[in-house]
Amino acid sequence: MTDTSATTHGETIDLGARANIAVWLGMIVIVAMEVVLTYAHLSVTMLLASLILLACIEAGLGLMYFMHLKYERAIFRWWTVPTLVFVLLMMNEVWPDAFRALRMRQ
Amino acid sequence: MTELDLAAPMTHGHAAMLEQSPFGIESKKLVMWLFIIADAVTFAALLLGYGFLRVGSPNWTRPFGFSPTIINGMVMTLVLLTSSLTTLYAVSAAQAGRRSVAVRWLGATTLLGATFAVLHLREWFGMVREGWSPSTNPLGGSVLVGATFFSVTGLHLLHVIAGVVAIPIIAFGFRRGRFQAGHVETTGLYWHFVDLVWMFVFPLVYLLNAR
Repeated sequence: MTDTSATTHGETIDLGARANIAVWLGMIVIVAMEVVLTYAHLSVTMLLASLILLACIEAGLGLMYFMHLKYERAIFRWWTVPTLVFVLLMMNEVWPDAFRALRMRQ
Repeated sequence: MTELDLAAPMTHGHAAMLEQSPFGIESKKLVMWLFIIADAVTFAALLLGYGFLRVGSPNWTRPFGFSPTIINGMVMTLVLLTSSLTTLYAVSAAQAGRRSVAVRWLGATTLLGATFAVLHLREWFGMVREGWSPSTNPLGGSVLVGATFFSVTGLHLLHVIAGVVAIPIIAFGFRRGRFQAGHVETTGLYWHFVDLVWMFVFPLVYLLNAR
């Protein structure tokens, strides 16, 4: 019960319980950092940027190690990750309109 | 025997019918990844909608105090992260053919998921008692605070509850030999995704609204 493995194209990759616990602890540390930053009196923009960056690092760790994306074929990673990132980035077109709504209501 | 095992040795005869996946993964796992990508975009759209409404509302209020809400959120995060670890052990045991061990780890995952749901619902009921709803704000600011909070966390909670229902079904099926390790792995992918979504919900919905 100590070893965790990922099966990719017929091979079994032993990751080891220690690696999993290290990733789990790393994610907990990131959450703690997020809470500390929240009460560090940063500007809203700085806080938002920091929280998003930390959440992306945490999500990356989860994707690569918990969901074993790191051990899938490169073609699979290139098919999924850039596609999703592109869509997520394109969704950010809404922000100028949000600021327009704010100016109209002030 | 998985479809990959079936396809690998085929060089003649039915090779065209059992051609290997170009991604080297089983169909059910590929479909789960497709679902995860689609669902990630759904959550991203919901979070962007929340961000849009927040930026566009000059009278936005920050309702969450460190105690009890943020502390509760931290505990919920710890519970969900730990459930991802137990899922990893369940998948590992399932792939090693240790069925009873895998079922026990899946049981632990279910228990942790249920704990998360209970903590979340307790928080919701506490807020409702204070006068919060999707259309009311007891602090007097924008009513969109409650609307976005209950929408984002509600969709996530729905995913958690779906997992808490699905994981025991997979566990029982796996114990009886009806499901294979691939099913456990696919279910594990879903659960890790639910965990991943919370990694964005907690900072953006809770921490950014902390007083």
